[in-house]
Amino acid sequence: MGKQRILSLFHGLFLAFIALIIIFPFYWMIASSLKTENQIFQLPPVWLFKPHFASYAAAIVNDNILRALLNSVIVTVGAVVLGVAVGAPAAYGLARYKFRGSAQIQFWYVTNWMLIPVVVLIPFYLLAADLRMIDNPIMLILIYQTFVVPLVVWLLVDQFKAVPIALEEAALLDGMSKFGIFLRITLPLTIPGITVAAILAGIFAWNDLLYAFILTPGTDARTAPTVMMSYLGGYIIPWGRVMASAVMITGPVVIGGIAIHKYIARGLTLGAVK
Amino acid sequence: MAQIAIDGVTKRYGATEVLKRLDLSVAEGEFMVLLGPSGCGKTTLLRMIAGLETPTTGRIMIGGTDVTLTPPAKRDVGMVFQSYALYPHMTVRENIALGLKLRGVTQAEIASRIERVANLVQIAPYLERKPKALSGGQRQRVALARVIAREPSVSLMDEPLSNIDAQLRTVMRAELLRIHRKTGMTTIYVTHDQEEAMGLGDRITVMNFGHVEQIGTPDEIYAHPGNAFVARFIGAPRMNLIRLTHRPGANAIEASGIRAPIPAGLGTLPADLFLGFRGEEARPGTAIEGEAIIEGVVDVVEHLGAQIEVHLRLDDGEEAVFRRPRGEALWREGDRMALAIPAEHLHLFDAGSGTALRAG
Repeated sequence: MGKQRILSLFHGLFLAFIALIIIFPFYWMIASSLKTENQIFQLPPVWLFKPHFASYAAAIVNDNILRALLNSVIVTVGAVVLGVAVGAPAAYGLARYKFRGSAQIQFWYVTNWMLIPVVVLIPFYLLAADLRMIDNPIMLILIYQTFVVPLVVWLLVDQFKAVPIALEEAALLDGMSKFGIFLRITLPLTIPGITVAAILAGIFAWNDLLYAFILTPGTDARTAPTVMMSYLGGYIIPWGRVMASAVMITGPVVIGGIAIHKYIARGLTLGAVK
Repeated sequence: MAQIAIDGVTKRYGATEVLKRLDLSVAEGEFMVLLGPSGCGKTTLLRMIAGLETPTTGRIMIGGTDVTLTPPAKRDVGMVFQSYALYPHMTVRENIALGLKLRGVTQAEIASRIERVANLVQIAPYLERKPKALSGGQRQRVALARVIAREPSVSLMDEPLSNIDAQLRTVMRAELLRIHRKTGMTTIYVTHDQEEAMGLGDRITVMNFGHVEQIGTPDEIYAHPGNAFVARFIGAPRMNLIRLTHRPGANAIEASGIRAPIPAGLGTLPADLFLGFRGEEARPGTAIEGEAIIEGVVDVVEHLGAQIEVHLRLDDGEEAVFRRPRGEALWREGDRMALAIPAEHLHLFDAGSGTALRAG
């Protein structure tokens, strides 16, 4: 028994250590965002201080971070809605129909997801310039499909396969059309899986810096991560505002992550059906 | 007129032939059971009648119309799936209503049909529940209700009782019969359980390796199996089949410890034979004139409650099994004994082809 307890003690300490490594930066970010510029660099660090929100006010007023967040929301939601609308039927087709090349197409989606953005960045920039769509959120929404659609397809193929075929056959005998079955039987049963795919894709879209930095350089169209880049240009880096903006940008990602962590932990094998 | 006619239907998956030029006709209102071991093609046949599979060759007629290429929705067939296939995200009421709505039945008519069907299969208290909240037996009833409410001209059932426990199964069997009497729906029922088939079917189609072995009433199939496969498949315990060699010209079938009269009108017998008899039709003791006698040594005695089952080792190494009521007589392992079988209960099969040898 003694050995068991020592083992579980080590186990606990190890987990606590990992948690510390992960949580500490978040703590530092939040704490710094609530400190004055002087407190941020005090050594030894001040652990107890009166929170002050001047950095947030400055980020909102000087850097128009709220506008950038709204742009991010528009681009992310747009990219996810379009990606699911395109990816879900594609995944359904791959899950339910056997046809020549279906395995290759599925593999192609996965490899597309691994695409290194820099490779296509310049062609996309030239295309956007020709189309006069620099600083246009629609351009970002379209370009984000390069990773949103593959991710959605990759996650949903197995989700659709998990829906018993007998359900669809029963609906067929009940007189439902094939598209009706997809919309009214299969899709409702995979909502948990679709939600996970949408949130994951949303996090990727939200976090994108490279495409957004190049394609939406203007202050009106820029997305939130791009604002972070703008802080790095001057003689002084305004760390209070950096941290306040970082809190506002990472907040939605953390909330999204928490919302789906249960499913992620289960290896995305959702027991939704049955 | 046949309600359903299967006309020379073949089904191939690549090189595998699942059904081989199969013919079958089912009468209006009939309860037809497709019986056979797994992989015999019975479920494939059912799915082809439903329209979920297309025959490679041949025709399927329902009510005189060729439906071979008609999509399932337009065939007017209902199906109870082995897994029930209830829509998990809909209540029982919605499950039953869906097929009716899609067929343009009015709201009022849907409500009244659901009420009628729910009472018939006794699920009225569960109408607002989701399938998850129901037991296996209740789900089975809902699946049945979904088909009955549609009032299809043909109802198909794919091993609907295989997922519920043995006790409930006998209850549901009686219920299926009662519901069939009430609705009079032409029913095709797939099972691998011969007892279920015997209990339910107006007629049984025994299938094996993609072809029909025999079609007949349960009684015909039990009393007059058309071949050795059917003889072995139907009845529990199964029919005893003893392989022996017949000397041409002999006036009886004889082997070591066995003597059986040759039924009149059989003509010349093949040399390689199966002599078949059911344990319940054998009587311990000496044979009288015209009966067959089989001698052997008691190998194993099993006590099954109401009956005892005796395994007899015959002289040539073959085995015969029979059952007697409990306490009738006690044989001990190692005893030598004889069984007498009335001639009318003897079955002879050509051991080569398996076909039954019958007079006429």
